[in-house]
Amino acid sequence: MEYIAYILIVVGLVFFLGTSIGLLRFPDFYTRMHAAGKGDTLSTVLILAGCIFAVASQGEMSWLIGLKILLIINFVFIGSPTATHAMMDAGERAGAKPWKKKGGDK
Amino acid sequence: MAELPIWQYDTLFLITVVLFGVTALTMQNLMSAAIVFGAYSFLMCLIWTAMGAVDVAFTEAAVGAGVSTVFIVATIYNTGASAKPRKPRVGFKLFAGAVAVATGAFLLSALPDFPAWGDPQSPVNSTVAPYYIENTIRDAHVPNIVTTVLADYRGFDTLLETAVVFIACIAIYSILRVDSAKSTVDEPDIIAAPPAYDPTDSLIIRQASRIMVPFMQIFALYVIAHGHYSPGGGFQGGVILGASVILLCISFDLKFVLRQWTEKKIMLLTALGVLIYAAVGVACMFMGGDYLNYNALDPVLPGDMAYARYYGILLVEIGVGVTVMFSMIGIYIILASNGRFKRGL
Repeated sequence: MEYIAYILIVVGLVFFLGTSIGLLRFPDFYTRMHAAGKGDTLSTVLILAGCIFAVASQGEMSWLIGLKILLIINFVFIGSPTATHAMMDAGERAGAKPWKKKGGDK
Repeated sequence: MAELPIWQYDTLFLITVVLFGVTALTMQNLMSAAIVFGAYSFLMCLIWTAMGAVDVAFTEAAVGAGVSTVFIVATIYNTGASAKPRKPRVGFKLFAGAVAVATGAFLLSALPDFPAWGDPQSPVNSTVAPYYIENTIRDAHVPNIVTTVLADYRGFDTLLETAVVFIACIAIYSILRVDSAKSTVDEPDIIAAPPAYDPTDSLIIRQASRIMVPFMQIFALYVIAHGHYSPGGGFQGGVILGASVILLCISFDLKFVLRQWTEKKIMLLTALGVLIYAAVGVACMFMGGDYLNYNALDPVLPGDMAYARYYGILLVEIGVGVTVMFSMIGIYIILASNGRFKRGL
């Protein structure tokens, strides 16, 4: 049980690392938001799922804690992509230019 | 220090403090007012020391007399009709950096004098804390000691903190509220014209907030009511409730929220929260106890003596929650609508 928790949390941290690198290294607003939105959601969900397994052996009320974490996962799943969508939308209307490869077509 | 009779030594200070306060408010010159305000803070600091609250005196000296005065003077210097760009002066920056490093080193040098972490002999752990830890369950049936200290043992503090939230809200209103009928300034374009980006266009945002808001509000009520057992309480739950309504303001429209919560309602409810808290105290006095001594409410509340305090804490937490929620909403709306309280972002 605990090893599943460790594996999930470590995988989540790896995705978090990817998110941070993407946020720092990608060239324009849209790609950075892509990294932040996708990586952040997935890694948060993975770490929280790991927490469910971590608390699973914490006594008889652990199912209640697990249920609460499951609810958090649910709302992260709804909230985070919506926030990303809202920022993307606002950025597009504010006129953020997508990045083009130098010498690419147009 | 505590033996000093307050009326001999402090009456003079208290009178002077009031005089300084009135002077600071009536002065026409902002710079002199800032200086008088600094003197006011310094006198308050002396009063705290005389009352034995040296920690509060230190904070007052550092924040009230020191940093606040510097901030106010800097603001007066730097604001004006037109801002002129300043050249960064390397020498001055080095000097400021040296001062910051020296102060930090000075403070760090005091670190070894602190009592060890968790030392049972340290003043924090040897005075009132053991009483709280040993008696909370017996006094109030509340496992979360912090909640009991906040709303029961130190109920006066929290009452005044709630009043501070309320007063801050009133201050923001009195500064930022613009009466559209009397205003000679035109409404800014951002308010007059609908914003270029209208989030109500987006089905995703609207539906997501439609799903989220009810759960946020249930969670906020849970945080208020469950403050007896887990971290939480009126301040935290009130902020979450306020945030849920602010989310509605953003994802739908300011008008949509103002249909339910008019300015008058928001202001009345902000005041109502403080009133609930104070009224619980007055009710205690009517039932024959001291102000905010919930034990006096025992005859009207279910359960034994300790449960009277349990429910008393719940009542004042509800008051705190109401005040915090509606001051959050009011402050957001007044900022988002440029003080017009009609339309906005």
